Amino acid sequence: MTELKTHSNLMKAIRSGEFVITGELEPERTSNIEPTVHEAIEIKKYCVAANVTDNPKSTVCLSSLAGSYLTQEKSGLEIVYQLTCRDQNRMGLGAAILGANALGLKNILALTGDHNACGDMPKSKPVFDYDSTHLVKLVREMADKRSIEGLALDDDCPDITIHVGGAANPNANPMGPEIMHIQRKAMAGVEFLQTQVVYDIDIAEPFLKEIKDKTGVPVLLGIFPMRGYGVAKGFDEMVPGVSVPKDLLAKFKAVKKSGFEKKEKNEAYRKLNIDFYVPMLKELKKKNLVAGCHIMAVHYPKIFPPLLDALGLQPR
Amino acid sequence: MIITENKPWEEVKQALELHHVKNVVIVACGICAAKVGTGGTEGAAKMKSQLVEHGFNVVTTAVVDEPCDERMTKQAFRKIKDEINEVDAVVSLTCGLGTQAMNTVMREKFPKKVALTALNTVFMGETERFGVYKEGCRACGDCILNETGGVCPITHCAKSMLNGPCGGSVDGKCEVGDYTRPCGWIEIYEALESIDRLDLFLKVREPRNWSESGHQRELNMRDKPAKEEGGDIHD
Repeated sequence: MTELKTHSNLMKAIRSGEFVITGELEPERTSNIEPTVHEAIEIKKYCVAANVTDNPKSTVCLSSLAGSYLTQEKSGLEIVYQLTCRDQNRMGLGAAILGANALGLKNILALTGDHNACGDMPKSKPVFDYDSTHLVKLVREMADKRSIEGLALDDDCPDITIHVGGAANPNANPMGPEIMHIQRKAMAGVEFLQTQVVYDIDIAEPFLKEIKDKTGVPVLLGIFPMRGYGVAKGFDEMVPGVSVPKDLLAKFKAVKKSGFEKKEKNEAYRKLNIDFYVPMLKELKKKNLVAGCHIMAVHYPKIFPPLLDALGLQPR
Repeated sequence: MIITENKPWEEVKQALELHHVKNVVIVACGICAAKVGTGGTEGAAKMKSQLVEHGFNVVTTAVVDEPCDERMTKQAFRKIKDEINEVDAVVSLTCGLGTQAMNTVMREKFPKKVALTALNTVFMGETERFGVYKEGCRACGDCILNETGGVCPITHCAKSMLNGPCGGSVDGKCEVGDYTRPCGWIEIYEALESIDRLDLFLKVREPRNWSESGHQRELNMRDKPAKEEGGDIHD
């Protein structure tokens, strides 16, 4: 077997076997990247890398390529550049990957992307020339064979030093098609997986076991720490296919109604998140089913230090 | 079948005004649009009463079998040439193919006249029952139904994914349409599972080749050699 080349801190951490933490950053509908950079600086000590989203939920935002580059440059935190197939064809995607390489980005999360019809520009033309599996394949082709759909890169092109990840959906029902979908991504060469948010270990465990048995691709389990009852309720209502467990939601509601001072409330929310997620993560870690955790705590950087502490992890 | 629906009356009226039309001939499709009810004698009668009600003069109506066939349209127009000569425009109750075929014929035979459509062409569809139609084919030119349990991912998947499902599928329903329509890739999975061929589901499918279908396509079977692999392509 040939030795695997490792270009990013993220892949280095995954391959070293340490419990890997990644975060998530969302540039918004502004060309001001500073809030994103600020958040990246806040979480930098607590994660090896953070994703920068690509028009999340099909809403138009600052470009993920520009956002990824600027955030990585200004914060020093390694970025996972999220790239969807919704907004550009294979020519655009190939060009974006060359651009990412030129800008020093080291990880791409290859996504199909939410459909335009679900976002804020439903009249726009959906591209979907590629799907996520094709995009995984393209990154690997460019990195491993120095070509784009068979077109050789120029001789002076530096090696493409980018790793490619994919998404996985533990909440899929039925599960069979999703497992096979991930198997295809594995065949296409995906190097790591980040899952959608999961709340239930009884859902997560069999899913992770199937992925491990059938692909062996390292998985970062997606969790969504909620900074207050409003966020929890909004997530429960707005994200199809994922429900915040009723008792957890009730606990968040109780904190909101508690009459506590703001600081006490924040402390109570923090504790609820930790008490809920940490046992699940520890259990999955113990069973060797996850390589780490993808913490989608957008605009909630303060959860990182106590969460890591409870997981027994040191700041970087 | 080509599925059509009526344009809102206001839009039809605006088109007639745009072309300064007062007197018309109605020409309706006798095949697909007739079945859907937008064409045929039924669609033509409805359109006639609407036009008359709004002060337009309908000189005659004609139902043409296959108006998308230029030869059929030419033949039908020959029969009503005096009426066409008399009016300002033809109101077409056909799909986009029929209206374009009519305009092709009119450019040759009635160069000062135009055929205006009163219908929107919505898709190529299967009929579930009368009045209920479902898009079934996008004419991609590279049919993979034999590998997907007879379910077309180009049409049934909102993203036309060749390697699905995506994360937008919840309990077998698609994120597009607010989770009311089935996820095409779950349909494919179930179809392949029932014939014990899930091995086909696992295949990584290459991206679609747009080089032949990203622009107007033409097919001329007359210029091809009479014998090709698989048999005689001529009748």
